[in-house]
Amino acid sequence: MGYGAEGFSIYDLQLWAQGLGLTIWIFLISSILGLLIGCLIGLIRSYRVPVIGKLLMVISEFLKNSPVLVQLFLVYFGIPAIFTIDMTPGLAAIITLTGNTAAFIAVIVISSIDSIDKRQLEAARSFALSETIILRWIIFPQSLSVAMPMLVGLAINQLQVTSLISVIGVIDLTRVGDIINQRTFEPFIVWPLIGLTYFILAKTIAYVGTRLEKRFSAYRLTNEL
Amino acid sequence: MIDIKNLHKNFGDLEVLKGVNLKINPGEVVSILGGSGSGKSTMIRCINGLESITSGTISVDGFNVENKQDLLEVRKKCSTVFQQFDLYPHLSVLDNITLAPINVLGNSKQIAEEKGLELLKSVGLEDKTLSYPAQLSGGQKQRVGICRALAMNPDYLLLDEVTSSLDPEMTAEVLEILKNLAKQGITMISVTHEIEFAREISDRIVFLDEGKILSDLPKDQFFAVDGGRADPRIAKFLSKMSEFNEKA
Repeated sequence: MGYGAEGFSIYDLQLWAQGLGLTIWIFLISSILGLLIGCLIGLIRSYRVPVIGKLLMVISEFLKNSPVLVQLFLVYFGIPAIFTIDMTPGLAAIITLTGNTAAFIAVIVISSIDSIDKRQLEAARSFALSETIILRWIIFPQSLSVAMPMLVGLAINQLQVTSLISVIGVIDLTRVGDIINQRTFEPFIVWPLIGLTYFILAKTIAYVGTRLEKRFSAYRLTNEL
Repeated sequence: MIDIKNLHKNFGDLEVLKGVNLKINPGEVVSILGGSGSGKSTMIRCINGLESITSGTISVDGFNVENKQDLLEVRKKCSTVFQQFDLYPHLSVLDNITLAPINVLGNSKQIAEEKGLELLKSVGLEDKTLSYPAQLSGGQKQRVGICRALAMNPDYLLLDEVTSSLDPEMTAEVLEILKNLAKQGITMISVTHEIEFAREISDRIVFLDEGKILSDLPKDQFFAVDGGRADPRIAKFLSKMSEFNEKA
């Protein structure tokens, strides 16, 4: 055993920054794509589009109720076995996290649309407002206010889930921790610092989320007379 | 003219409207009276297509409610004031009023807001323009509901039990506004429990009983002892309602 523990170096900081960047990047891209796809699924389901609505719900149930790591393996090892594409760990990570996020977003979208008082929609229709206008100006803002706390919770959870992608070789923040730890043998320094980084990211999301939530819910915070 | 011909409406096996024929001419104020379950609310909801028609026809100025394109025209002509107000809770009072004029009539924001402010002034709510519905009393909400309906410049105003969710004091303030509207010559179809209000504003009173029109008479005749009151069912309804109103 010729290896001895080496001390920390300035390059570890650079490695940490790269891992952090990749984690944020994959988190953002999969969250944004997941949000778009999830909203689409939620709307298709909410407007009761036949067949396709049901089918999408079956898929999203699967994604919600199976381990993300299993989904990750399925995408990373499964897709190249069927299709001839060059599956990189990064791409597999984005596909998996996007799908998983979309499944949860769809449920949030459906339940927040459900929570809206339907009589006001009837009133809106009685004034000849089109379904698009009703969606944009009545359903969307109210659903958003209901959905915001759930979306923030989901985002924080999905941020932590990104650490799983280190398993298939993506050099994210967790994988960086692993690399540095293996070289320095300082688990009680490395892992708390890595954990702290996730903590700060999560708190930032929560902070921004709460600010947005307040803005979207102004009309509900006012007391009844 | 609103022309209802042989209107039938079923909810599953339950037949709520059993062949209603009714014509309402421009400028008329017509009150629809009847007990609970008589089908009066369903009828008014059929006029602007909020309920589908089982059989029969409804046309508004020649536009057929059952035709999808026509329905939009019908809805532009008829504005409804709802029992539970049904305001948009996330929009300010003024935005509640201007949403449809801007998006349906194509009014500019400025014009819609000027008109909205004018309407709010006319019901004494000019200081509430930026409030949200949750900050208003029931009576104030319903006054906003009336402004929202009037902002569309409707040819017909449909009133669906507009005071049923209000206490007597608030009822009075809302009825006062509607009385003034009636004087201004707007066509109104009002489903109501307020006999005195019906007596005061209506030109005609239609009495629905178990999904059929039992009587359709000019107001004075309806309340005359040898007119509408001669029918035992109407007499019973009127005495029950006046008893109730005295208690309240």
